[in-house]
Amino acid sequence: MNATRSISLMLATVVLAALLLPYGRACAAEDETKLIAILTSNAPKAEKAITCKKLAIWGTKASVPALAALLPDKELHSWARIALEGMPDPAADDALRAAAGKLQGRLLIGAINSIGERRDEKAIGILIEKLKDKDAGVVSAAGWALGRIGGPKAAQALTEFLPKAPADACATVAEGCLLCADRFAAEGKKDEAIKIYELIRKANVNKQRTIEAIRGLILAKGDAGIPLLLEQVKSEDRQHRGIGLRVARELPGSKATEALMAELKNMKPQQQAFLLMALADRGDRKALPVLLNAIENGPKEAGFAAMNVMEKIGDASCLPVLAKIATSGEQTQAKAAKVALVRLLAEDVNPAIVAALPKASGKIRGLYLELVGLRRVEAAVPELCKYLSDPDAGVRLAAIKGVGAIGDGKQVPDLVAALKKTQDAKERTALESALSGTASRGGPACAAPLRELAKSDDSGLRSIALHALSCAGGPEALKTVKAALDDKDPAVQDEAARTLSTWPNQWPEDASIVEPLLTLAKQGKKETHKILALRGYLQYLRGNKKLSNDDRLAKLNDVVPLAKRPDEKRLICSVLSTIPQGAALEKLTAYAADAAIAQEACLGIVDLCKRRDLKGASKDVRKKALTIAAQKLKNRRAQKDAQGMLKGLK
Amino acid sequence: MAKRSPIGRRSFLRRGLFFGGAVVAAPHLIPASALGAGNAIAPSERIVMAGFGIGNRGGYDLGCFLNEPDARFVAICDVRKSRREQVKKMIDGKYKNNDCVMYRDYREMLARTDIDACLIATGPNWHAPATMATVKAGKDCYCEKPCTKNIVDSLRLAETVQRTGRVFQGGMQRRNLSHFAYAVNLVHSGRLGKLQSVHAQPRGMKTYMSGWPKGSAPEPPKEVEDWDLWLGPAAWRPYSKGGMRSAFNFEKGGGLVGGGVLEWGSHCVDICQWANKADLSEPIIYNPPGNKEITAEYANGVKLVIRDHGWMKSGSCPVRFEGTEGWVETGDSGDIYVSDPALLKDRGTKSRGYPANNHIRDFLNCVKTRGLPRANHFVTCHTHIACNAANIALFLKRKLKLDPKTYRFIDDDEANRFRSEALREPLRL
Repeated sequence: MNATRSISLMLATVVLAALLLPYGRACAAEDETKLIAILTSNAPKAEKAITCKKLAIWGTKASVPALAALLPDKELHSWARIALEGMPDPAADDALRAAAGKLQGRLLIGAINSIGERRDEKAIGILIEKLKDKDAGVVSAAGWALGRIGGPKAAQALTEFLPKAPADACATVAEGCLLCADRFAAEGKKDEAIKIYELIRKANVNKQRTIEAIRGLILAKGDAGIPLLLEQVKSEDRQHRGIGLRVARELPGSKATEALMAELKNMKPQQQAFLLMALADRGDRKALPVLLNAIENGPKEAGFAAMNVMEKIGDASCLPVLAKIATSGEQTQAKAAKVALVRLLAEDVNPAIVAALPKASGKIRGLYLELVGLRRVEAAVPELCKYLSDPDAGVRLAAIKGVGAIGDGKQVPDLVAALKKTQDAKERTALESALSGTASRGGPACAAPLRELAKSDDSGLRSIALHALSCAGGPEALKTVKAALDDKDPAVQDEAARTLSTWPNQWPEDASIVEPLLTLAKQGKKETHKILALRGYLQYLRGNKKLSNDDRLAKLNDVVPLAKRPDEKRLICSVLSTIPQGAALEKLTAYAADAAIAQEACLGIVDLCKRRDLKGASKDVRKKALTIAAQKLKNRRAQKDAQGMLKGLK
Repeated sequence: MAKRSPIGRRSFLRRGLFFGGAVVAAPHLIPASALGAGNAIAPSERIVMAGFGIGNRGGYDLGCFLNEPDARFVAICDVRKSRREQVKKMIDGKYKNNDCVMYRDYREMLARTDIDACLIATGPNWHAPATMATVKAGKDCYCEKPCTKNIVDSLRLAETVQRTGRVFQGGMQRRNLSHFAYAVNLVHSGRLGKLQSVHAQPRGMKTYMSGWPKGSAPEPPKEVEDWDLWLGPAAWRPYSKGGMRSAFNFEKGGGLVGGGVLEWGSHCVDICQWANKADLSEPIIYNPPGNKEITAEYANGVKLVIRDHGWMKSGSCPVRFEGTEGWVETGDSGDIYVSDPALLKDRGTKSRGYPANNHIRDFLNCVKTRGLPRANHFVTCHTHIACNAANIALFLKRKLKLDPKTYRFIDDDEANRFRSEALREPLRL
């Protein structure tokens, strides 16, 4: 199965190479004379085809006769048209018009399509003649091409022909009419456009063309098109309703907004929901009252829809309604309201939330405090801090979360003060999280109150201080955490060791942690401390890109004796696999003899042997390592890689 | 084209806040019941769908659609009989019936009036013409990327979708993934300072010109493999069995400058466009490739750097945004790398990979509401123009200036020849 797939893949690659020719070098214009000579010679069609492609880029008037001569060839016609259609010179138009007079069937359709793409006004007469062709495909092409060219003459021919167009060509002729009308509308010739749209709307054409004509008609009429728009919006027919909802988003002006708003009350709940979304997409704030009314008094579908799109036109006036639902509505509604509050874009929303804070109470105040954080109203952080000592626990918690989300080092003293006041576990956890966030933003400059906190009589607070200090970083913070290894409380000692081993300040580039980790790994009081420190140190060795390979290996050798358990030995394998040196490969080979870590060692061997920069590893050393890896690896892909490399060595 | 339509622009261009991961990622906070997509859906409320050239990637998309209770696949079209049967089996297996109708010729399938929407997952060669045919037939459309082969294709796609009033979603599903949304929101909220550059991975910086395979095998009957329909808009070549099986790359980006930036760029450049609030525009200057990079410049001064090298371990489809006060990089690994750990404070749960479920749900919602999905036709148009223009600079190896009103290159007729390519008869856009 795999072999079959591989062969298929190879075959596909070969074929693709034949289908696409790479152009790696800079392309310079090729000699047109030589290219023309190929077209007029007995060269194989493949060569002529690619030559056409080149002439599409570099061909001039001189190429036109040779290209035109290929138009009657059904295999090269499309290639020749690629060149002619893209050529700016009017000689290409002459050639295509001439071909349209001679060709038939598909090739004629091709020529007409190119004429349409080039919008050759001189071809209008020929195209009008082609509307009488017996081949519906040719009639369709002519109808479309006339539409692409546009203008009064083409429009007149098409609109006169539409009622008598053959059934197979009717949709495309109508498309041609629409293209003419769209062009008139874009040029400001609204009356001409409206006449055509009306004609198509009343003609016996397929429904999609009618729908398109209705759209064009409403947009061209502007405010006068509103009744037709409303007719669509409230239609029982899905397609008419659909175009109504699309055009409801496109037709500009406040009259349209008002008319659509007035229509809402007559609609079924689901249709109300869809129209509310369309109203919001219009971006007209006049529609805001109907959105708010839907939230407060409308059917459930309409209320959800309004909340979902509120961000598009909502402003500060929406706060009371949304806040009420967010704090007292049913769970799904409350969630939707809260999301809507977070997403409101208007500039007056943030100041309104801050201004409302002192007057609000209970759940509403809690919600506003949370919103300050979620909406990142950074100017309101000092205001938030006032509520860190609020008597209401819910308000306090919301304030803590808000400060944690957007505060910085300046709020660390306030948070520390709040921490000292509470014994509540949930609040302490929230404060710890907030301190981590603010301390990491504040950096070493905000560490002083945290170092003070590390001297607290409460061991829980001392542990929190260590975590926050690790976020703040800096030499003083590190000194405090190191000192905590001798704390009177063993639990704090453990936290200090854990904090050091995962010191997150700019890890792994923060080299100041290296020495304390190494010392702890070698001389730690507890075995767990030694293990944690060793793990942290090994992460440093693996992750620090500034270390040379020699340094990395030397430092690793220094701690290898400290690794007693398979877990740490695995980490050593992981470090070794990043050092492309023979000594590292030999060490991995030795580790492969240990059943507990053999897989990691063998994966490391494969990784190293794949590297082109592996140095100091003789063929024999590689062979020995790969033989062991091929024997022991359970991962089939890696095993296959090992076997492949081994084969290469033999 | 109506490219400056107010719809879409408002919602995209105003942003001054920062919202956490869960909030920015959710495209559809509205409950399914409010859109008529609850557990019990009346047949009349279902979105009736058809599949168009479902291969490997399409099979994945189809699986996502089949999991949506309000979508119902009734037809499949493919030029290969074996593929038709394979996909029918998948659909019928899901619905436990034998109802899926197979078509060789897409025109017959599109003539059905009961079909509301199509999933287009053919080879890229067919994406734009199939989209045009679908929307002109009055059906909404979800099309895999790259959606177009050149600049004119891109403009015409946007114009036609708008004129027909249909809903279109390009298959750039990262628009609906939380880690990309988070990174973009870091830019929009101003937390990275003033945006300086956006970086995208193209996954291939070579351009190709069409070739001509040796006709090594007799052409099978149309019912088994319809070579003429398979070629579709591409210029004629003799039948090639192997060619038919490598549709993924065939004429990608058009035969003039295929490959290049389009493949992955339609994802990564798209996210960069989003970050730079350029959903309705694209870079106006494209510098020649240098140092294995292409640098393009937006009118607002932001640089778009397209490069395959120098990425962090962020998985496939990486993007990076650099501002005056910080940077962020993310990709399909779901990891978000930032200049300051504090920027990750609001991240929420990590997500990884590039599932299309949200993107497909976004599309189905818009089929009902008639709103604009996140990778709508305007977004798709401008992202693809950027990729195609970068490809042309890559091919010509010189600086190009794009006029953002006419979408023509200024004072460069040669470059303008790459703006479009004739479709093989009888197809037209």
